[in-house]
Amino acid sequence: MSGALRDGLLGAALFLLLWEGVVRLFGVPPWILPPPSGILVTTWAARASLLPAMLATGQEALAGYAIGAVLGILLAMLLALAAPLRRLLLPVIIAVNAVPVAAYAPLALLWFGTGPLSKIVMVAFVVGFTVFLNTLDGLLRVDPAGIALLRSFGASRLGVMRRLRLPAALPDIAIGLRVSTVRSMIVAIVTEMLGSQSGLGWTIYEAVLQIDFLRVWAAILLASLLSLAFFGAVGVLERRVVFWR
Amino acid sequence: MTGAAERLDAQLTVAAPPVGRVKLSLNGVARSFGAVRALDRVDLSIAEGEFVTLIGPSGCGKSTLFNILAGLLEPDPGGTLLLDGAPAPSGSLLGRIAFMPQRDLLLPWRTVLDNAILAAEIQGQKKREARELARSMAAEFGLKGFENHYPQQLSGGMRQRVALMRTFLFDREVMLLDEPFGALDALTRALMQRWLLDLWSRYRRTILFITHDIDEAIFLGDRVTVMSARPGRITLDRTIPLPRPRQPSLLTAPEFMALKRELLEAVEEESLKAFAANGP
Amino acid sequence: MSWRTLPRLAAPLLLIALLWEGAVLGFGISPFYLPPLRQVLGAIAALWPAYQSAFLVTLAEATAGFAMGALVGIAGGIAFAHLPRLRRMVLPLFVVSQTVPVIAFGAIVVLWFGNTLAAKAAIAFYLTFFPVTVNTLAGIEAVDPRQVALLRSFGAGSRELLWKLRLPAALPRIFTALRLSAPLALAGAIVGEWFGATQGVGAMLLAALFNEQVVAIWAAILAAAAVGSALFALVALAERALVFWREEL
Repeated sequence: MSGALRDGLLGAALFLLLWEGVVRLFGVPPWILPPPSGILVTTWAARASLLPAMLATGQEALAGYAIGAVLGILLAMLLALAAPLRRLLLPVIIAVNAVPVAAYAPLALLWFGTGPLSKIVMVAFVVGFTVFLNTLDGLLRVDPAGIALLRSFGASRLGVMRRLRLPAALPDIAIGLRVSTVRSMIVAIVTEMLGSQSGLGWTIYEAVLQIDFLRVWAAILLASLLSLAFFGAVGVLERRVVFWR
Repeated sequence: MTGAAERLDAQLTVAAPPVGRVKLSLNGVARSFGAVRALDRVDLSIAEGEFVTLIGPSGCGKSTLFNILAGLLEPDPGGTLLLDGAPAPSGSLLGRIAFMPQRDLLLPWRTVLDNAILAAEIQGQKKREARELARSMAAEFGLKGFENHYPQQLSGGMRQRVALMRTFLFDREVMLLDEPFGALDALTRALMQRWLLDLWSRYRRTILFITHDIDEAIFLGDRVTVMSARPGRITLDRTIPLPRPRQPSLLTAPEFMALKRELLEAVEEESLKAFAANGP
Repeated sequence: MSWRTLPRLAAPLLLIALLWEGAVLGFGISPFYLPPLRQVLGAIAALWPAYQSAFLVTLAEATAGFAMGALVGIAGGIAFAHLPRLRRMVLPLFVVSQTVPVIAFGAIVVLWFGNTLAAKAAIAFYLTFFPVTVNTLAGIEAVDPRQVALLRSFGAGSRELLWKLRLPAALPRIFTALRLSAPLALAGAIVGEWFGATQGVGAMLLAALFNEQVVAIWAAILAAAAVGSALFALVALAERALVFWREEL
């Protein structure tokens, strides 16, 4: 395992060196590609304005993520229990999902304003969908023989849900939750870009208008770190909860 | 064809050890995996056109032996492996022996015909020629009318026949069959055994056939060999002096029973050893 | 597509249209939130050539990036499967690269490529290649080792193993990735259009937002859905042609 870690770090170091080297060697102008060192310096220099932006985006993403995850799982459980409702609603849900999320962002801004609420709603919407589809998939894929066995023990539908379907669907739920981490950050940033007064997406948009590309890269760096940390945290949690995988 | 079959039958009804040229010969072939000794000095010699069956407790190193013979695994240095009397270093065996694993391993995206010609195709034969040949053999393998079906549309017995056809079309003089009928139900298995004997008497290949089933080993083989528990070694090599062609009624004949009793004792001894070695 | 699949596709659409109109009429929803479907369709019909060209532009951007991403992803998966060292060095970078909120790159990509099809295709590409790489690799690694041993015993070399076994066996997983990343590629193309593009569904969305025209936003959303369905249909058709054996498993 240490070999894998070593090679991974080696790869990352080589990548950064190559980047830095190419930029310096060919004198690439920073508006095309700044060197990693330049991005770090800018990030540090602009920390006073970048950190609050990172915090704002992080809060929006986290709040939307929590709401979306809970709603997604609950809706999946409801539709797993109520087959007629599922048959009615599933086509609608799939149709709504067929539209790329970005297309809904203008509506959210129009309805909920340019404050944090519109971002939280968008994140919750996207995370909710991702988690919902994964959870429903897991809940419905349970071995029918297992269900029959539990029913023969006298378990009710809710009992089957609690003792069999939900634990069996945990790996799928976990996948949905993990995928959603990065997605929640992306959606928060995209919505901020369209209309906002704070956050990393807004910072990026402003910096583009001011042709300050080092600042764009600095914001991207922070956004990546935030999203990596979020992804990592959910990954650790997942390994604890879904230990049998 | 029938001429060859009669000649073969005449030759094989002789109870004495086979007189044909030695096709495959192993002397002190061994193989270890780290500290585990899987094969311990295996000595085995198979004559041309002979049908040899091999039985042994599970985990006795049969698969190791097969993988060595197929050229997929290198034996430890020291032993000798002769094919047609010439030393055959590992690697040189790849593509020289027709190998049929336990599972049929058919490719789901290829039709029956295209699965059957897979080996021939890899050997560089023209696809069209190979298909023509396979089509002409389909009836013999009970696959007429199913040439363009996909494996998942076939029954277990039919899938196994496609796999066997693939092995036969991979035109090698030696065939290694690793429990080819292990997954089939008893009735299908009995049919397939007789059908295989029929096919063998016509094509006259040298066959080494692994099985768990003592009845199957006796019914099919000119010789039955027993492998010991790990580390594997050939502990018994018994000629089966039963006349051919063999009929199902043979299974209840007294001479069959006597052979079975003898082999059962040998196998049971090995199984007990294996159990004692691996048990708690 | 046969006559039997047509009603199956049309039924959910009809249901949604009915629900939409019914909800607007029944609950008296303000047109600020949801204008009647008739009105949205009317807006599209009134400017049909504009919507048609936006549809085609965005579809071309997304498809170009998506196709490139698929090819590079498959090649990457094959390379990783054959070169474990390369994989240990580069795959973690790929994973990290996917946590980068790609959309943030939109501005820079547009700067690199100008306001061209290539700029949007590049974003779509970035979003496609990674899932395809991962699934190609997983598909190749999931090949039954006994299957590999069998083909090797027939004398197959690594090229034959790849073409006759590994790649076909990985196809179902590759298509899973393609189905997942098709909407992502489209989202990438749409957001790419927000940085100064004048054509395409994304540009239409932005214009509608600035003019606060809810009907136009909904019309653009429908156009986006149409592009998404077209892309999805392309993938589904390719899958049915190439992975025909899967449904019988």
